[in-house]
Amino acid sequence: MRRVLRDNGLSIVFLLLFLGALCGQAVAGHADYNDQAAQHGDPDISMARYVVSSDFGVDVMENWQSEYLQFTLMILSTVWLLQRGSPESKSLDQAGRESDEQQRVGPYAQQNSPRWAKASGIKRRIYENSLVLVMGTFWLGTWFAQSVTGRIEYNSTRLDHQMVPIGWWQYVGTPDFWDKTLQNWQSEFLAVGSMTILAVYLRQRGSPESKPVGAPHGSTGIEG
Amino acid sequence: MGTKSTVFACLLLALPLAGCGTANRQRDVAAVAERFHAALEAGDGQAACAELSEETASKLEQQEKKPCEEAILAVELPKGGTVGATEVYERSAYAALAEGGTDFLDEGPDGWTVSAAGCRPTAPEQPYECELEG
Repeated sequence: MRRVLRDNGLSIVFLLLFLGALCGQAVAGHADYNDQAAQHGDPDISMARYVVSSDFGVDVMENWQSEYLQFTLMILSTVWLLQRGSPESKSLDQAGRESDEQQRVGPYAQQNSPRWAKASGIKRRIYENSLVLVMGTFWLGTWFAQSVTGRIEYNSTRLDHQMVPIGWWQYVGTPDFWDKTLQNWQSEFLAVGSMTILAVYLRQRGSPESKPVGAPHGSTGIEG
Repeated sequence: MGTKSTVFACLLLALPLAGCGTANRQRDVAAVAERFHAALEAGDGQAACAELSEETASKLEQQEKKPCEEAILAVELPKGGTVGATEVYERSAYAALAEGGTDFLDEGPDGWTVSAAGCRPTAPEQPYECELEG
């Protein structure tokens, strides 16, 4: 058990942080929803009702979709794009998908390589791109969920103002949808950009997100 | 049944159940709107006011300076009729009468009530103009 905790500490801690923050968001969001309901003379709703509402749903999904977009773009762009001096980047001579030998696939796979890395054809192609495929699917799925829950919330507000609801196609062209989308995207791109550049010049001893403390600023694609 | 099959079956079951929930709420909305207009047709102001939201009934009384059950019968609202279309989003809904006119409804702890009635469209993307609203 101790070994499991030690070997998986990173994912366990972040899972717990995620669950804690999600619960905290539910509490704060529920209080905020009821505050606004009181201002409009509407009755309160229970926590159980709030966490299955589109208000909560869209607040969660708009954040999830931008996180998965960040990872999808980061994974894809770092195949070809480089940043001199950044540990987020590959070495300057390594742009591209790299050779089979470098990637240890097919005949260059080792005994303990994943099964599909040793395969050929479609199985290997899928596995070679599995990370971006899954992240990209999560991004599109959560972005779609944002559009569905956002439309419900938007139409509820329209009805409160004696305006009839709009369809999904119309909703994804509205400023409401794109405001929710882009306010999240800008922060994700800022985070990646900041990390990429700051890690050129700053260090965190012991973290693989940083270069070794004594590594030159110009050294690229090495971890601490 | 294996775990994966159980999860998949639950997901498949959830979809029509979710749809049933929405259909039930639409039926409730339609029923309230139809009761409201049937009461107006029958000249039963008290029954009509029972379907109004508190805010709308109160505003009507303040504007007309009469009890709701008297004031409501003087408002130019469709009498009778059937609901042709409804849509429900969270705690808000609308019901469009087949004979013309639209009502807007809110859901409270005691169910759906009419918050605005006798509404007609004005310009695109503008609020409807209503004979009665809260």
